[in-house]
Amino acid sequence: MDEQNIQVFIDGVKNYFLQQTGVAAEVGTPYLSDAQARVAYEYTGIIGISGSSRGCVYYTAPGALLRDVLLRIGESDVTPANQSDLAGEVANTIAGNARREFGKDFMISVPVVVSGGAERISLPPDLRAMVVPILWRKHAAALVVALADKQ
Amino acid sequence: MRFFGLGKYRVIVLTVAMFLVFDLGVLVLNFVISSQIAADALAVNMAGRQRMLSQRAAKTLWQINERTVAGQPASGEMAELTEAVALFDETLTAFRQGGSVRGGAGVVVTLDRIDDAEAIAILQRTNAVWEPYRARITSLLANPAPDIDAVRSALDVARGANLELLKLMNELTSQVEVTAAAKATTLRAVQIGGITLATANFVLILFHFLRKLRQGDALLEQAKKETDDILVTVNEGLFLLDRNFRIGSQHSHALEGILGRSDLGGADFVDLLRGIVTEKTVGMSRDYLDLLFGERVNEKLVGSLNPLDVVEVHFDDQRGGFVTKYLEFRFNRVREGGVVAHLLVTANDVTKRVQLERALKEAHERAKGQMDLLVEVLQVEPDALRDFLAAAAVCLDKVNTLLRERTASAADRREAVIAIYRLLHGLKGDASGVGLSGLAESIHEVEDLVVGLREKHATLDGNDFLPLTVRLERLFTQVDALRGVVNRFAQIRGVVAVEPARAATEPDAAQAPQVRRWREFATRLAEKQGKHVQLHYHGVDPATLASPYREALPTVVNQFIRNAVVHGLEKPEQRLAQGKPAAGNIALYLAAREDGGVDLSFRDDGAGLQLAAIRQAAIERGLLSASEAEACDARRLVELIFRPAFSTRSSADEDGGRGVGLDVIRNYVNEWGGNIRIGSTPREYCHFRISLPRPSPQLSAGAARINGEAA
Repeated sequence: MDEQNIQVFIDGVKNYFLQQTGVAAEVGTPYLSDAQARVAYEYTGIIGISGSSRGCVYYTAPGALLRDVLLRIGESDVTPANQSDLAGEVANTIAGNARREFGKDFMISVPVVVSGGAERISLPPDLRAMVVPILWRKHAAALVVALADKQ
Repeated sequence: MRFFGLGKYRVIVLTVAMFLVFDLGVLVLNFVISSQIAADALAVNMAGRQRMLSQRAAKTLWQINERTVAGQPASGEMAELTEAVALFDETLTAFRQGGSVRGGAGVVVTLDRIDDAEAIAILQRTNAVWEPYRARITSLLANPAPDIDAVRSALDVARGANLELLKLMNELTSQVEVTAAAKATTLRAVQIGGITLATANFVLILFHFLRKLRQGDALLEQAKKETDDILVTVNEGLFLLDRNFRIGSQHSHALEGILGRSDLGGADFVDLLRGIVTEKTVGMSRDYLDLLFGERVNEKLVGSLNPLDVVEVHFDDQRGGFVTKYLEFRFNRVREGGVVAHLLVTANDVTKRVQLERALKEAHERAKGQMDLLVEVLQVEPDALRDFLAAAAVCLDKVNTLLRERTASAADRREAVIAIYRLLHGLKGDASGVGLSGLAESIHEVEDLVVGLREKHATLDGNDFLPLTVRLERLFTQVDALRGVVNRFAQIRGVVAVEPARAATEPDAAQAPQVRRWREFATRLAEKQGKHVQLHYHGVDPATLASPYREALPTVVNQFIRNAVVHGLEKPEQRLAQGKPAAGNIALYLAAREDGGVDLSFRDDGAGLQLAAIRQAAIERGLLSASEAEACDARRLVELIFRPAFSTRSSADEDGGRGVGLDVIRNYVNEWGGNIRIGSTPREYCHFRISLPRPSPQLSAGAARINGEAA
């Protein structure tokens, strides 16, 4: 894991919020979490990464944040299905950004959205994931990067 | 020889040609005979008209006679007689010689000459009767107003000829009809024969064709079944690629499993790669395939350029992750007419092989790393080291907690930076204190980052902490690695009894011939050195080990014994002074692991590695300058004992001092792909552990030549 690659993912999230809502997202202080203490909110968009580094990157957010984003962009349908789609869209934006930045050396999967707790998210074992808190209009969400360099 | 290049189609083409010949023959004959029948029908008509004309001539003569007797003009009858005679005469001539004749309604028709012998005879008889009759009538008609005598004379001739002519013309008509009927019969026979032959020929074609088709179908079916059997059974993915890089319709069943999809026929191979390998590899693969389709390129020469020789592929698992495999694609050209038409592609899933190779490589690298770490921790007090590492983990957790919890405001973040600096600075000091210089350097680099954050002060935001968090993760990893090594190291410290789980000891192994030889060698060597030694053996009978270990391990153990007795074990009086038993102990343990590898543990309870003596020997032998030796850490010093021609003894004798010993062991272990671990505590023990992998076939085949010294 190096900071340049992780920054690409962070920038993906920041760009999404700024362009879609006009309100910048605030990046919190990154910290480490282990497999026993995964961070997960209600909706999680997961992207698989393979190639030079392998593992996954996911954006996880509470329903309240996603509902506010939907309303902000003029979407009146704020049902759970739409919230889930929005989490997938954020993940898609992160994936697209990552493909542009280092698509030649990385394989980036089609994002998948899971709802519910952390047990639905499978991270590489024995890996401390980096949690980057992402705040948007006082709503806490997170970008989690769990990547191991290829041996 | 090929028949006009028709090959296997020769027979069918010939029979079809015969069929056409028969049909055409029938058609031509039909046409010819039909024409003749039409001509015969005309002849029958004309012959019938001759009968009528002969009667008409006679009747007109009678009328002329009547009118002449009555003294009336007979010009109309004369004209009619002229016409009848002329028509009869030209028709008779046409019958005999062929030619044109006036038919019904004044239409001129052509009569063929009659060739039938009987009809010719009839015509000749007719001519004999007709000629005098015609002459008499012609002379009568020469006078427009003939006298009664001339008329009667002509009438007398007519009386004699009329019935004869009628009879002859009847015969002619019948004869012509018979000829026409015969021709019609011939035509029917020809038609029946021709159609029968054509039909028979068609049936022949049909049966021949069907038989051939059935045979061909059966052969094709058999060939297809064989091909299908091969394609279903073969473990490799087999398929053909055309010039557009499209996969052929036929491919092996295994290919679907290898590529994880079933819609492969006609699929674009490059597109298919695009989903599972990086874009860079896709580009290289396309270039390589272009190269293979190039006629001027030598297939074998470009083989080394194959980017898909062993390629890592990633299949999206539809759950936000990837399933990674390693595939091997081999390409062979398929030529048609001297031109590269296809590439035969063989695909194999080599995941297990590659993973095994990687695991071995990683094990080697890990072993090297562990060796480095081991020699680094060698001189560290074990308890202090354990305490430090536990404290280091707690310290790093505290740093992480600060990052997670003390970030609500800029002031919080500034305080967190100060606290983190303090924690890391303390940790660096402790790492240096216990002699872990590598870890201390890493912490120092992170400290520099924290200093940078502290200087940002006013504009410090969460994102600024990213490099620190990344390096914190690396520190965690380093500490984890050290703890792992120390835990393993702890298992081999102290007495041999704390060895990790072993294979069951063979009760008789301690008395095995080879073990007896080692024991005798150790005892003999110790006596020469004025020392006492006891060799304790646990494990398997060395003679049961696989080649080349069976042949080479006696040498390795002899070198360890020599090294332990000469350098490690103290003299009895020294040992007694240190509270040790007078006789030194060597514990030798040999185990054959379940994976085919071998573990060897050799421990003596002597003086341990004496770093000062090693340092001094390195200076004396010119390996290090005095200043270098002084600065040299424990790890580098321990490495020196494996150098060729290195010994801490000041003088050489037959038992040691020339420095040939441990370097021989290291050469063997390197050759076999194993690793050596060393543990030592001054005045307590020295412990070597060798872990050897399952011997490779090459090693087994060319088992190392044994140069060992027999006891």
